[in-house]
Amino acid sequence: MRRLPWTPIAAFALIVVIALLAPWLGLANPVSMDVPHRLAGPSAAHWLGQDEFGRDVFARLIWGARVSLSVAVAAAALACVVGTTLGVVGGFLRGIAEILALRSIDVLLCFPPLLLALLVVTLLGPGATTLIPVLALVYLPGFTRVAYAGVLTARSQDYVEAMRVLGAGKSRIMLRTILPNIGGPLLVQFSLAMAAAVVLESGLSFLGLGVVPPAPSWGLMIGAARATMTQAPLLLLWPCLALTATILVMNALCDGLRDAVDPHPAYRPTARRLLDALAPGLLPTPRAVLDLRGLTVEIDTPHGPIHPVRDVSLQVFPGETLAIVGESGSGKSVTSLAITGLLPGAARVISGAACLDGTDLLRLSEDRLRNLRGAAMAMVFQDPGSSLNPVHRIGDQIAEAIIAHRPMPRAQATSAALALLQRVGIPDPARRLRAFPHELSGGMRQRVMIAIAIANGPRLLIADEPTTALDVTIQAQVLDLLADLKRERGLALLFITHSLPVVAEIADRVAVMYAGEIVETGPTAEVFLNPRHPYTAALLRSAPVEDGPAPEGIAGVVPPPTALPPGCIFAPRCDRAAPVCTTTHPALEAAGEGRAVRCIRWNQP
Amino acid sequence: MTWLLRRLGISLVLIWVVATVVFLAIHMVPGDPAELLLSQGGTTPDAGVVEELREQLGLTKPLHVQYGLHMWRLLHFDLGQSMQDDSPVVAEIARRLPRTLELILAAGIMAVLIGIPTGTAAAMRRGGAFDRISSAIASLALAVPVFVVGTLMVMVFAQMLRFVPAGGFTPFTRDPAQHLALLAMPAGAIGIGLSAVVFRMTRAAVLDVMLRDYVRTARAKGVTPNRILVRHVVRTALMPVVTILALQLGTLLGGTVLVEFVFNWPGLSGLLVSAVNARDYPLVVGIITVISVLFVGLNLAVDVLYGLLDPRVRR
Repeated sequence: MRRLPWTPIAAFALIVVIALLAPWLGLANPVSMDVPHRLAGPSAAHWLGQDEFGRDVFARLIWGARVSLSVAVAAAALACVVGTTLGVVGGFLRGIAEILALRSIDVLLCFPPLLLALLVVTLLGPGATTLIPVLALVYLPGFTRVAYAGVLTARSQDYVEAMRVLGAGKSRIMLRTILPNIGGPLLVQFSLAMAAAVVLESGLSFLGLGVVPPAPSWGLMIGAARATMTQAPLLLLWPCLALTATILVMNALCDGLRDAVDPHPAYRPTARRLLDALAPGLLPTPRAVLDLRGLTVEIDTPHGPIHPVRDVSLQVFPGETLAIVGESGSGKSVTSLAITGLLPGAARVISGAACLDGTDLLRLSEDRLRNLRGAAMAMVFQDPGSSLNPVHRIGDQIAEAIIAHRPMPRAQATSAALALLQRVGIPDPARRLRAFPHELSGGMRQRVMIAIAIANGPRLLIADEPTTALDVTIQAQVLDLLADLKRERGLALLFITHSLPVVAEIADRVAVMYAGEIVETGPTAEVFLNPRHPYTAALLRSAPVEDGPAPEGIAGVVPPPTALPPGCIFAPRCDRAAPVCTTTHPALEAAGEGRAVRCIRWNQP
Repeated sequence: MTWLLRRLGISLVLIWVVATVVFLAIHMVPGDPAELLLSQGGTTPDAGVVEELREQLGLTKPLHVQYGLHMWRLLHFDLGQSMQDDSPVVAEIARRLPRTLELILAAGIMAVLIGIPTGTAAAMRRGGAFDRISSAIASLALAVPVFVVGTLMVMVFAQMLRFVPAGGFTPFTRDPAQHLALLAMPAGAIGIGLSAVVFRMTRAAVLDVMLRDYVRTARAKGVTPNRILVRHVVRTALMPVVTILALQLGTLLGGTVLVEFVFNWPGLSGLLVSAVNARDYPLVVGIITVISVLFVGLNLAVDVLYGLLDPRVRR
């Protein structure tokens, strides 16, 4: 559980304490009448004045809270006990019990809540004692659903299975494991039911179908004050304020509890911050489509800023594939998002330059960058299932990419989309144009993503783990397609992956990333045959080889970005580390033709 | 198509179950309806008169015969006669129902027009001034019960400012302007809370969708922010919003009781309250059955609408 909502909890506790202490607060008798002083204004004896029968308004407000809350708590408690029992029993025993419990709840849900309450009031007659079962019945389904869903989730979890295997009885499993797990959601449901019960109780009392006069109730007070609202408007206002404030507090409590029980990340809008520092005064690499220099990305976290990508430099040339390889968390995806300006809100580039055909992307306005995205540079993401919009047709999604950069009539864009589908090898493309993403297989969807990426003839194609979510056979087909496109169109392909076999198959050159830094680059064949960085070597040894020696793991774990070692970041896991490695951070130095390595001991025996 | 037929079948079964539950509930009341009806005012009714009324209401027949008769009549849209004035229940419901539906529809339109644009704007500038202010207003609007809003509106706009009459009803055909003037307050009272619900749902849904991969894909395609918002974000975020709104409108079928009472709007719910107070069983059973059937029908409509909005459901 996250932080509890203390402010609403305190406010609610205050209301509860006042209501509980009502008999001992020295208040006037809330039901004793004083007709000669009816509608009298505030006085020393009656702080908020007197109502239409001369009763003390302040006392009636406080006692009204008592009635409201006790009805609400009792109703919510009854609904919670009965509803949870139904849900737990239904979910745990399955079979007939499940059907009975859930179907009866479904029938309850066929009646609008207030209607259900009215039906029961018709049957039992009005009164505070009727209200409790009425309200309980209305809020019962919520508890049953929460409990049932909780049990179904818990059932499938390993520890419940384990307990069952160990021979624990069903009732023991239920009490020991499932109830504590659904406690949070039930608490939220309880607060929701309570808040709603206060509203419904006041409404029914207002109609004369709830609390029976002369007992004090806010709903009754509001109803009664309507008759005299022109003479004594304040009489109407006080119970309205008390009721609204109470519900406001209870709603805040519900929201707070829900957030505490179910914390979920949410989108935070932030304008993309341009780099204000001047670009490093280096000559651009001739012919390079992408020339990335000294890229460093910062992310604000509650524990201070971290740098998931530090001083990354690389070049990609036309018709060439550069693979960035590394474990998850090594910063390879962040690098690609930084180049395209698609970093999530909390992350930003703090230094470096990323030149696409000589234009620095990191210092481009969002509008001008948008004109390049999907045109001069295009991206293919890891999961084609979630990367395509589920509610739009394939053809429309491709056409949208075309029209975003080359305004043209819809029909023309559609025929262009058809040609693209054909090019990426989708059978029966005319029919697929009208298909929705969920109607295609994973491999087909990734082909669609590739069609979108090449729609406007990009110079640079960034593919971020494009085959990871696919079957091995489909993987090979998609890799072949990318390689064909690269050859045919002279694309520069930046290929991000964690898989060494994929690198070996597709990449001309490779850059190995570890914990946010490039540790080695060079032509793929040379790096694989003769790795110069101990991490590259360890990575190669950890990959399974057919008929080869068993793969070796790398001892230790990747350092968290909050606690990077002061010297070489790989030193704590390195089998060749010397004392100097733990104090001096190595630079990426040239290590032969087209190769570079970030290790001071690379040429030492 | 089979998906639609299955949903339709489930709905029909639910309607049957609901009608049965209402029938049984009324017949499980402790005490005899005829006796209760006649003993109003504290007098003990004559045994012969009670028996006569029981005969007249068909209460002397065995339960299963009564049930069969009830269901047979339901199939022919016959809900019996009111115990108060012997008028057919169906006719009374047909006269009142459109007025309640009008109220709900007007409130729903208001909620959509206010809630969806403000909810989207608040989400797009999450944490900004507009978001904070509109969220605070929505919290307040959610906390004020509808009859409190209504009563305060009557006090301010009718009694103090004298903008509009305090309540009542004029048929549209007789005086359209007066009809709309009288509609404004009750619809507004419901619409305020409903707008707050739609605002919150929209805001949450947009925040959720903004994090989805396909929004990133749209950005990667170079689509303009406005088009992303309309085509990708709002379009997808609308699905849960439409569902919640429709279900809210459904609960309003019985939930306009309070507003109709406050504004003296002669709708179906008002009729129900007076029927409950008069213990007019045929009328209560009729109204509750009709509203529940409408509610089930609305849920079916929501499912169909969901199928139209989200192609993944259609199968």
